[in-house]
Amino acid sequence: MKRKNLTRYILLYLASALFLVVFIGPFLWLVSSSLQLERQLVKVPIVWLPDPLSLASYKEIFMGAFFDEAVVSSHKISSSYQSRIYLGSFLNSGIIAFSVSFFSVVFGAYAAYPIARLNFRGRYTLLFSILVVRLVPALALAIPIVLFAKKMGMNDNLVTLILINMSFVLPYTIWLLQAYFKTIPTELEDAARMDGCNRFQVANKIIIPLSIPGLTTAGILAFLLSWGEFLFALLITETEQSFTSTVVAAMFANDVDVNYVTIIAAGVLAVIPPVIFALFFQKYIISGLLSGAVKN
Amino acid sequence: MGAFGQNALSTMTKNPSSEIPQGRLALIFSAPALLILAVTVLVPLAYAIYLSFHRYNLKRAKRPFAGFRNYEKILTDDKFWDSLATSFIFAVSAVAVITVVAFFLALLLNQDFAGRGILRALLLIPWAIPDVVNALLWKWLLHPAFGVMNALFQMGGIIDQYVAWLTTMPSAMIWVIIAYSWKNIPLATLLILAGLQTIPKTLLEAAELEGANAWKRTQYITLPLLRPTLTVVLIFETIFALKVFDIIYVLTSGGPGKSTTVLGWSIYINTFKKLDFGTGSALAMILGLLTLFIAIVFYAFLDRGEKQ
Repeated sequence: MKRKNLTRYILLYLASALFLVVFIGPFLWLVSSSLQLERQLVKVPIVWLPDPLSLASYKEIFMGAFFDEAVVSSHKISSSYQSRIYLGSFLNSGIIAFSVSFFSVVFGAYAAYPIARLNFRGRYTLLFSILVVRLVPALALAIPIVLFAKKMGMNDNLVTLILINMSFVLPYTIWLLQAYFKTIPTELEDAARMDGCNRFQVANKIIIPLSIPGLTTAGILAFLLSWGEFLFALLITETEQSFTSTVVAAMFANDVDVNYVTIIAAGVLAVIPPVIFALFFQKYIISGLLSGAVKN
Repeated sequence: MGAFGQNALSTMTKNPSSEIPQGRLALIFSAPALLILAVTVLVPLAYAIYLSFHRYNLKRAKRPFAGFRNYEKILTDDKFWDSLATSFIFAVSAVAVITVVAFFLALLLNQDFAGRGILRALLLIPWAIPDVVNALLWKWLLHPAFGVMNALFQMGGIIDQYVAWLTTMPSAMIWVIIAYSWKNIPLATLLILAGLQTIPKTLLEAAELEGANAWKRTQYITLPLLRPTLTVVLIFETIFALKVFDIIYVLTSGGPGKSTTVLGWSIYINTFKKLDFGTGSALAMILGLLTLFIAIVFYAFLDRGEKQ
């Protein structure tokens, strides 16, 4: 019996090690590459461990932005422009992701409340049609939206991107929150109604304060989804005033004139906010991702 | 009717003048969300349908009604069928890889051992990486001259010389599938793990006492009970895989040749490069109908499975 347990553990840890190499290895390789100098990156045979560790790539992005200095890549032109659009895009992505999380949680909560609590005809039709919205391919909507945005002068504009991202995020938010609201005991609500609270007061004073964990989950998922959005960001943005970090990452990745270490550092910077969010709030995220699925 | 009666009763017992009908109340509550969805989904969708029946090229001033001509043009074009086939090859392979790997990963994470929680948390890293950055990451790993994959494969004796993975024929598609799966396996794993945790442990223990080995237990207990979860995973993954775009944009741009030109990429090229919005819209409609069709088929399958 003991023998069997030992082999079981050996197998489990071997499998875990394989898992780590496959799923974390590529990410660590990217981080490690970003800590090298350009000449180490382009060395054949390959440099396995950065020696010395260098923050030159990050310095290039930050210094280039503020002081117009090309720290690493003296031979490559326009690197200061690249780092400048990079930092701006980082800020834009942050503005979009935070606004989308905030507004989709607020609007989503009010839309989820009646589905969870009120008794009206078409309640499930409403929920179902909100979900079906997610089946429409983004590319089908992209064509008219780009035309509208151009006509109304709303292209190259963060507000447009915030609105579009909300339409992707809201169905998830509503689904998640209505499931969460249903877990709150109705007695509290009934008591408040007896005391003369109307539905808005009930939602604001009882349901929403009691749903902070659910709202947090919804907000984090909204942040992650909108931070990573690419298609509309690509189509709507035109200049550095609205470029998002995904647009710039794609631009760098497809540009032969940008040196590797800058591309890689830009990639690492673009994943830092979502990865940190994901690890920090992992309990919320896992419960949120699962609550939707299990109820389905 | 019962609900209506109850509602009427509660209205009578409380102050009737302050009570708004629940349907109207629901509408007031959800108005902002519904307004956003209407403006960003319903209106554009209606206009996309309109566009798909018109000749609409940004380079031309006249935009006449075209009936089904855009659709006709697409359906009689070999390029469409090629990209449809490419989309299917991509979707079927990616969904297969994702589901199989996720299933085994979920089995691993469902075991009781120290460090399991850490593994589950780390699984969120690939999931949290934006698609575009995921593509950037793989582009670097697969670099023809400085990529770590070339170094590893050469060390392992798999290749003699460095390979330009993303610009040669079958390997470009294979790596796009691998890169896409890498990012999408974690979510599928978490969903399957949740399904596994609903299977009573006593059932598996009883089977073990009866002498069923691990494979038999998986085959006769775990898999059948996991069927609803697996169907949900298959639906979502298939729908997402058919819409793939971001990773193609960065990794291959549809190439080499047309070997990774999936439907999403061909819609993008037709619309935003050739500026043929009519054909692009019609293509997008076809993709939408395809997605809807697959969702319905899967759903019917799930429904039937549950009734059995």
